[in-house]
Amino acid sequence: MRPGGGRPIRLGGLVSQSGTAALAGLSALVLGACGASSSASTSAGVQSPKTESLSRGKQGGTLTVLSHQDFEHIDPGQAYSSVDYQAIYATQRPLYSHEPNTSSAPSPDLAEGPPQISNNGETITVHIRHGVRFSPPVSREVASTDVAYAIERGANPNVANPYFQAYFSSLAGADKAEGGPIPGIATPDRHTIVFHLNKPNAQIVADALVLPLSAPVPADFARKYDAKKPTEYGNYQVASGPYMFKSNGEGKVLGIGYQPGKSAVLVRNPNWSASTDSRPAYLSQININIGGDATVIGRQVLEGSGMVQGDTPAQSNVKLAYERHPSQLEISPGAGDHYIAVNNKRGPFSNVNLRKAFWAALDRTAMNRARGGKLVTDVMTHFLYPEIPGFAAAGGLEGPKVDYNEHPEGDTAVAEKYMRLAGYPSGKYTGGKTLEVVGSTGSPASDDAEIANQTLENLGFRTKLNLVDSSVMYSKFCGVPAEEIDVCPNVGWAADFADPQAVLDVPFNGRNIVSTGNNNWGQVNNPAINAAMDKAERLIGQEPREKAWAAIDGELVADAAAIPFDWDKQPNIESKDVAGVGDLWNVGSWDYSYTSLK
Amino acid sequence: MSVGVAEILPGAAGGLGVPDVDGEISARSPLALFWRRFRKDRLALVSLGFIVLLLVVAIAAPLIVELLGLPGPYVQNLNLTDQFGSPLGPSGAHPFGVDQLGQDVMARVIYGARVSLVVGILGTAVATVIGVFVGVIAGFYGGWTDTLLSRFIDVVLSIPILLLGLGIGAACAVRGCVAGTIQPGLGVVIFIIVLASWTYIARIVRGLVLSLREKEFVEASRSLGASNVRIMLREILPNLAAPVIVYATLLIPQNILFEAALSFLGVGVRPPTASWGQMIAAAAPIFNTAWWYMAFPGGALLLTVLAFNLLGDGLQDALNPRDRSMTLTVSGTQTGQAR
Repeated sequence: MRPGGGRPIRLGGLVSQSGTAALAGLSALVLGACGASSSASTSAGVQSPKTESLSRGKQGGTLTVLSHQDFEHIDPGQAYSSVDYQAIYATQRPLYSHEPNTSSAPSPDLAEGPPQISNNGETITVHIRHGVRFSPPVSREVASTDVAYAIERGANPNVANPYFQAYFSSLAGADKAEGGPIPGIATPDRHTIVFHLNKPNAQIVADALVLPLSAPVPADFARKYDAKKPTEYGNYQVASGPYMFKSNGEGKVLGIGYQPGKSAVLVRNPNWSASTDSRPAYLSQININIGGDATVIGRQVLEGSGMVQGDTPAQSNVKLAYERHPSQLEISPGAGDHYIAVNNKRGPFSNVNLRKAFWAALDRTAMNRARGGKLVTDVMTHFLYPEIPGFAAAGGLEGPKVDYNEHPEGDTAVAEKYMRLAGYPSGKYTGGKTLEVVGSTGSPASDDAEIANQTLENLGFRTKLNLVDSSVMYSKFCGVPAEEIDVCPNVGWAADFADPQAVLDVPFNGRNIVSTGNNNWGQVNNPAINAAMDKAERLIGQEPREKAWAAIDGELVADAAAIPFDWDKQPNIESKDVAGVGDLWNVGSWDYSYTSLK
Repeated sequence: MSVGVAEILPGAAGGLGVPDVDGEISARSPLALFWRRFRKDRLALVSLGFIVLLLVVAIAAPLIVELLGLPGPYVQNLNLTDQFGSPLGPSGAHPFGVDQLGQDVMARVIYGARVSLVVGILGTAVATVIGVFVGVIAGFYGGWTDTLLSRFIDVVLSIPILLLGLGIGAACAVRGCVAGTIQPGLGVVIFIIVLASWTYIARIVRGLVLSLREKEFVEASRSLGASNVRIMLREILPNLAAPVIVYATLLIPQNILFEAALSFLGVGVRPPTASWGQMIAAAAPIFNTAWWYMAFPGGALLLTVLAFNLLGDGLQDALNPRDRSMTLTVSGTQTGQAR
């Protein structure tokens, strides 16, 4: 996989959003950002990460987190979901991180200052803060070698970091790395780390240093656990952040601070020093109760005390919160997107005009209403989503002015126009092909799949709709080009960090098509777009990158590479006595380092 | 030589004649005797009426939906949901309310009857044919044939069928299985149901045949030179009719529930086909805001299963009046208790 990725949204939607849904932004409709508003979704008192106070929290107290979803991993080298990140970013300090109210400007965290990128874009130098110490039992100062080891272990098959290949494969010697030293990572002194790259893509590598893989891991402590397959470092870990999983004297977490499927406890890291960190860390302890029904959990949180729901609330509870407890509801936009992947390579949708006809005919407002309406979605009009640099340049909420994009509620006349241009004079598809449509079970994904299927039938297609588990949909069908699925109506993407390359490159660059685990679900392979992406990847600095990737976004719309329908916004709920702070950069998930009790 | 039901069914042979007007004793046919007993069971009669009505509704679903002025079961109208996507409740235009896609729940409940009845009746019929065939062969021939078939039945019975169903349902999704013989959706569901059901019939039939093959009329037939096939077809099978009918009637509601369970778990019929189990599954997360979406398909499922169970009990009483303590067990669950 080429650098510049993100995470497929495995179970999008209000009820069942996966931990893999990612970065968050601010609600454009609810909060009036990006020049749009909606009376349907506006409510006085609904919270937003952008408006929450970060500095006036009450010190102390225990927060109870109710979550029906368990962690996938608590090892910073393996964690890759928003639920994981809630605990990881409270317990670990990557080189850079975002303040809760921003997703576009990372701040130095373990690093002392911004990354220094060489003029040729092939070297990154980062200086590390003095005085940051690991939690017991290691309890020593963090050194640059700990960061080097943390990144190197990402290539260890026992750790199998999910994004190492995407972002760190351009490190010199990374192609042969298996957990040992990587020649492209140098530590000239205890507080300096230098990354040498074999191609000039330093910007995307530097951006990726906000990910938990750059959080320090002491090799002397972790190596014996990393030798096991899979690594057991998650079960025996040390922290560098303000909190740590409750553990015994040997750093053992499993069964003490984390009982899979049951509970987790985060306590204060006794070696954390506020003078080295900008996070306030108000809470004394965080108790995480895992399991239970999402609907029940939500009601407990809304009517209880000292609680937040750790994962996505049920749709009915979002409605309840909006109508009766608006101040206990937080909405974050920029939580990824959902679109319909259509097979650009084979079958009817290799015809661009048929893709445009489908785009024009689809009632995107209906698709979004099935996902919970305007409160938690925006109509997707192009591929860069809110809070991602380049979003405004690519057309903002309204999107590019092309006729097939202008009527989100669907436009039959425009659809028929493109059907005729595709060679079907009646305005209906008359080819013999029966479309194979593979979607995901569970509302709202299944609802969206049925709406898309109905749209195709209205256009004259015969279809065979199958709904399978979301993971099966990706791993067995939509992510396997040889299966030749015509339409995947439930795919989605969330960038790992706010860079336009992280949104567009993997899902739409033809060079990223692979035989299994393919994330370019529509097999989009437009040579002009591929070349433009290759060029844009090497740009340094936000402004030129925004401009270049926004232009690429425009080309994808002109090519109708996929059929967009939803930009996600993430709802979160809290008890009335909790001042929860959500992370704009992490699908609005709670940031325990900023959350406090009232 | 053939014998009728009256000869082998307890209670069907003795004391069944009634004096005619001339004071002579005239025999009633087994069917007349059965009906005489069955019609006294009002619950069973009501259940039969309900099932007949359900069959009519299922067969004439398009006509009924049209007569009621309802939109078709697959007509989506998101304008019938509120700003949060929550469906609107019962109204004059939509007596059972609508679902998340704005589809009319009443129309879908009516169409859902088709799936339930097709799966229940067809699945049970196929399972019964297989079960009777295997049971008769095992019971009639005995010996190693019986041992082999009985152990095979034991093996199949030991399979956790719901888990197997989930596995097969997932494996056969999209492309089907067995070189496309089993297609995803209804085909898979019926296959799983047949797989789960035939063994119980086979066991019961085997036991009955073990007893029947020792009867005098079988011996008589054999002594007259009848072949094994003829004996099985002409002597044994007719005498299995009553218990098999009773058992199949009790199996139908189990299979309807099994289909609903598979659909609930996401491996049942394919959308947009309306199925009660699928509707209940879709309604579960929004039950607190859209009770009607679960209540009506759930109610239909409950009434249908209840009706088949009561009918089965009635049939058992009517066909088997002496053995009132007989209890039939399906899938390890007691389903019918003679009253």
